[in-house]
Amino acid sequence: MLKLRFHGRGGQGAKVASRTVGTAAFMEGCNVQDFPLYGAERRGAPISAFTRIARGQIMERGVIPDPDVIIVMDHTLLSDPQAAPLSGSNKGGVVFVNTPESPEQLKADYDIDALVITLDLTKIGLDMVGSSILSTLAGAVASRIIGIGEDSLKDAVEKELSGIIADRELLEKNIEAALYCFRSLEPVEMKTLQSEHGKSTVITMPFERARISSPAINAAASSILKQTGNWKVFRPFWDYDVCNKCMICVSRCPEGCISLNEEGFPSVDNEHCKGCLICVEECPKKAIKAVRGPVPDQVEVTGE
Amino acid sequence: MKREMLTGNAAAAWGVRLAEVDYVPAFPITPQTEIIETLSGWISDGVMDTRFVTMDSEHSMITAAGAASATGVRVFTATSSQGLLYGFEMIYTVAGWRVPLVLINVSRGLSSPITLGPDHNDVLATRDTGFLQIHCENCQEVLDSVLMAYRMAEDERVLLPVIVNMDGFYLSFTREPVEIPDVEEVRRFLPAYNPSHAYFKAGHPMAQGVAVLGGEYYSYFKYQMHLASKNALDVYKKTCREFEKEFGRKYDTIEEYRLDDAEYVLIMIDSFSTMGKAAVDRAREQGIKAGLLRPRLLRPFPEEDIRKALNGKRSVAVIDQNISMGKGGILYSELAGCLYNEKNRPFLLSFIGGLGGKNISPEEFTFIFDQLVRGEEAEVETPHLLYTEQEWEGMQKLKDIAGKG
Repeated sequence: MLKLRFHGRGGQGAKVASRTVGTAAFMEGCNVQDFPLYGAERRGAPISAFTRIARGQIMERGVIPDPDVIIVMDHTLLSDPQAAPLSGSNKGGVVFVNTPESPEQLKADYDIDALVITLDLTKIGLDMVGSSILSTLAGAVASRIIGIGEDSLKDAVEKELSGIIADRELLEKNIEAALYCFRSLEPVEMKTLQSEHGKSTVITMPFERARISSPAINAAASSILKQTGNWKVFRPFWDYDVCNKCMICVSRCPEGCISLNEEGFPSVDNEHCKGCLICVEECPKKAIKAVRGPVPDQVEVTGE
Repeated sequence: MKREMLTGNAAAAWGVRLAEVDYVPAFPITPQTEIIETLSGWISDGVMDTRFVTMDSEHSMITAAGAASATGVRVFTATSSQGLLYGFEMIYTVAGWRVPLVLINVSRGLSSPITLGPDHNDVLATRDTGFLQIHCENCQEVLDSVLMAYRMAEDERVLLPVIVNMDGFYLSFTREPVEIPDVEEVRRFLPAYNPSHAYFKAGHPMAQGVAVLGGEYYSYFKYQMHLASKNALDVYKKTCREFEKEFGRKYDTIEEYRLDDAEYVLIMIDSFSTMGKAAVDRAREQGIKAGLLRPRLLRPFPEEDIRKALNGKRSVAVIDQNISMGKGGILYSELAGCLYNEKNRPFLLSFIGGLGGKNISPEEFTFIFDQLVRGEEAEVETPHLLYTEQEWEGMQKLKDIAGKG
């Protein structure tokens, strides 16, 4: 049995990616089980999705703690302790990351034992599909890695997308981009890894007083510590020569993370801006541009 | 017949479509919503000739389902967890109307704390209502059980509503290959519903769901429901035989997995049973004579079949994916009651596992088999919560973040 685990952000397409490779393998006559795991639905929240593929019966359910292949659709998840996309990665396994960085760089930065493969899916998505939704692209790289045939992938993308998008042109672009990603990689000789058991022991849970055991949070303002804006594809950038300080962007920001600097110009808290770009949309002077790339600090922004 | 990758929810919708139901009152709730979304899409596209009404709540939804069924049409509805509880008053009420509607419950843990993962406290709350209960392990079973549920419920000897249960996420959002039968085959198995006790005819007025004052009258109606539920055992078995003849898939009141020569037995229901079966296979490789028994029908409770299947076994572990605070596992108590008068009864152990969808790891199954082999020497509480050291450490971290130190 081959086990694949996808990590992405809500809205990025991890669920459809896991289904695409699942459907492709099903079309090739395999037994397949795929499913997504997300909490209360929220765009941008870390989600995971799973695909199990076997010639025989699949006697497992639920999350895959020890995947053969990990597909990370969002680079910023690598350092997210809750998403922990690299957990259970194995020496004999494969980790794919959507990033412009090199595999060697990632191996060193994150101490990864597995074979690392990278490709800048976001750039391919923006260039070829005009969108940073990466479902079919991630499905394509996963299919390639495990050795699914090109025709099966094409049929699977067609089948999965025809149920959710009516625009034929968009569907064709997705197929084209998926095939481009597929052909950009080489298949990997996959060997099914032996699961490691016996890591944890069963305990007898002790009683704790309600002060501890009631579901209440006593710590204040912990949300400030969570960098909810670390994953955006685009970020707003102000041209202060054009800005007239009308503050419409400040009032329209759903996250409340645009404030005024000492000169009265809007300035964004990049740690919490989710890149929704409502400010870009709302600015009457068109003084805000959507830009890509790593987040510079405020000094560099004003200096650009 | 065609074979497709379907989620449990999509399989449920296919079952409803093939049963050619007349009326679907609906209200959304995670993780059930995909069922009614799929149905409303088909109805809007004209591939289903069904009346679909979105209601203001589950209480109204279950009332509408019961009322429609009382006019003699075939009715389907679905809910989950808090939704089932919100409509709970009407669960008892419509069962008393003797209306054979089918309700799918997509199991999800109950508040508080609020959660999304599955366990069975929601569906087991309906245990004493008069609804019959079928529990499914996989997506194919969901589709098949909807068809079987109508066939069983609409039998003159039964006429009680049925809950078909599947686990949220583990089935509802999980895709597996599912065989979708042709509608002609289904029509042979499940003919149109034409009841003689519930109809809506201008020339034949009738009052339904009336009140009775006086315990002797009330007792009569309640005990009749009990007898009808007992009848459902035979009707269900006959339904299984007919189903196998038509579609080739074999079901029974219980599923026995490697049970024949087993000495140590797990008892589980719904989708986690798959993991239990894998644990049985691993235990067998270690030389432990392991087996698994999965009740598919919980109401009526298949006591005879369970007694027969467990006769002579050394020890049995009931893994309850529910908890009755202050007592323990609900199925454990039912099993203990079922086996108490048996001369050759097995030693019985009680575990609580999978609450809120918590995984049951291979190590936890190993722990259970270790205890089963010890039998009366076992060192576990009744019930023993399946919880690992790793999970406890994770909980400590969460408490630290929440300022609980």
